[in-house]
Amino acid sequence: MTAARPQVLVVDDEPQIRKFLRLGLESHGYAVLEAATADAALRAAVAAQPELVVLDLGLPDREGFEVLGALREWSRVPVIVLSVRSREDEKVRAFELGADDYVVKPFGMAELLARIKTALRRRVEGEAPMPVFRVGALEVDLVRRLVRVDGAEVRLSPKQYRLLQILVTHAGKVVTHRQLLNDIWGAAHRDDVQYLRVFIRKLRSRLEADPARPRYLLTELGVGYRLRSPDQLAGPP
Amino acid sequence: MSAFAVLAVGIVAHTLTRLVPLPHMSVLFLAAVITSAALWGLGPSLFAAVLSVAGGSYFFYSPIYSFDVASSQDIADLAMFLLVAALTSRLADGVRRQAREIADARVKVQGEALREALINSVSHDLQTPLASILGAATTLETLGEHGDQRARRDLAATIREEAERLASYIGNVLDLTRIRAGQLAPRLELVELADIVNGALRRKEKALAGHVLRVDLPPDLPMLRLDLFLMEHAVANVLDNAAKYSPAGSEVSIVASVQNGEVVLEIADRGSGIRAEDRERVFDSFYRGDAHAGGPPAGTGLGLAICRAFVEANGGSATVFSPGPGHGACVRLCLPVQAGAHQTAVAAK
Repeated sequence: MTAARPQVLVVDDEPQIRKFLRLGLESHGYAVLEAATADAALRAAVAAQPELVVLDLGLPDREGFEVLGALREWSRVPVIVLSVRSREDEKVRAFELGADDYVVKPFGMAELLARIKTALRRRVEGEAPMPVFRVGALEVDLVRRLVRVDGAEVRLSPKQYRLLQILVTHAGKVVTHRQLLNDIWGAAHRDDVQYLRVFIRKLRSRLEADPARPRYLLTELGVGYRLRSPDQLAGPP
Repeated sequence: MSAFAVLAVGIVAHTLTRLVPLPHMSVLFLAAVITSAALWGLGPSLFAAVLSVAGGSYFFYSPIYSFDVASSQDIADLAMFLLVAALTSRLADGVRRQAREIADARVKVQGEALREALINSVSHDLQTPLASILGAATTLETLGEHGDQRARRDLAATIREEAERLASYIGNVLDLTRIRAGQLAPRLELVELADIVNGALRRKEKALAGHVLRVDLPPDLPMLRLDLFLMEHAVANVLDNAAKYSPAGSEVSIVASVQNGEVVLEIADRGSGIRAEDRERVFDSFYRGDAHAGGPPAGTGLGLAICRAFVEANGGSATVFSPGPGHGACVRLCLPVQAGAHQTAVAAK
């Protein structure tokens, strides 16, 4: 039965990369579909409805960003962008277009496998949102709007709670500065990253044992913030 | 400019008018002409010459306060001034051109020295991991189906480790070319130093895995206006060095404080340390520390050079001190706190 094996669509124009991705993914229980161009990728995504897409940005016919944008018009399939481009603005663009994760080439197979696992788990959890989110000693009750650290209730201002709530609903995933600013302060302030930094600092001082070395609320430099999901806390960051 | 020079001479001449006999007044104006020629070239000096003769005739030679050319001496003065202007500016042009050529040549020589050093570095430091990768991969191929599992794993680990080394070298060389190509325009934004340090620690997690980390970042540090990318790289390079030049199991400490209106980040190791006379040289490109037992660890010798360039691009400074060989080294990064930083933080409340 192939139905039990999650299907991953690998989009990369480099045959060597596709080859080792296929070997690595198949040996870890995934079924692999390959596409070398943007057009082939979109056709395969429609025809096969894969569980996850691994997408290279530099494709011969069109930019990977275009594939991501086209895909997001009709699908919520998790997309992990794989790219040699390591600049922050490229990452921001990918996240804002709806990428679930961004892995910079060169990368190790173990890391990619961990990211794929997280993305797939998040999709399952996302379909049935849990009323209480727990990571480490942090507990957020989304129904009763209660936040606890080590069982003790932590009082947050409405904006601080809203910020935490957004991060909780995207737990494990990077949320860009702009997305957070837009949601909390509105479109007029979506470039005022310093607002956000001040709020994150306050939130950390209430939630983290050592705010200077946060365990839960991580900074993705130049991109945004990420609340670690429980499996990320257990494994590598 | 030359008009000012003539004016200045005119004022001096006017005050000296009583002390200096008039026929020698033109010598003073000649000074303005020569200065203009030497500093600003032909056009301004010719202008100064004309202005001097006109001014001299107007203010100093009778009839005073009129342009009447009193004698053929004025004509002779003018001709002389123009001649001096032309000759001096030509000479000065020549000297300037030579100086420029010498400076260009020096840049070129430096560029060639850099290129040569880069090629040496590339040929050694990039070929070595490549040789290991190729060797391990081809060995893996020859093992076929009969090779034992442990040998396979060992070879695969070699390929991974050496490829990681290669990736880090290439990263460094790319950073350096960014500096040399003059693309280093920092994108300043308000940031937390802790974010930068944590980013660098995450990036160097593997290199530091064998060390004991002590991180002391006070929670009330002011926010800084810095380029995230450049500063994270700078700190990561220092951490890399600390890990490389100190024994496994020893402590690497990262301590931040505010001193004299600056945020000071000190990264110290318990390694081989640095001799006093090498405290500046460690920031030179391709300087690799010298042959203490077993020679310097593998590296491009670019880490601290890149670190200093990046920190200075952010308006800060990078220095290193060490109690002496065998007592560890401490790299100190001083970063300016800008007045605006605090205000913005308050505004967002």
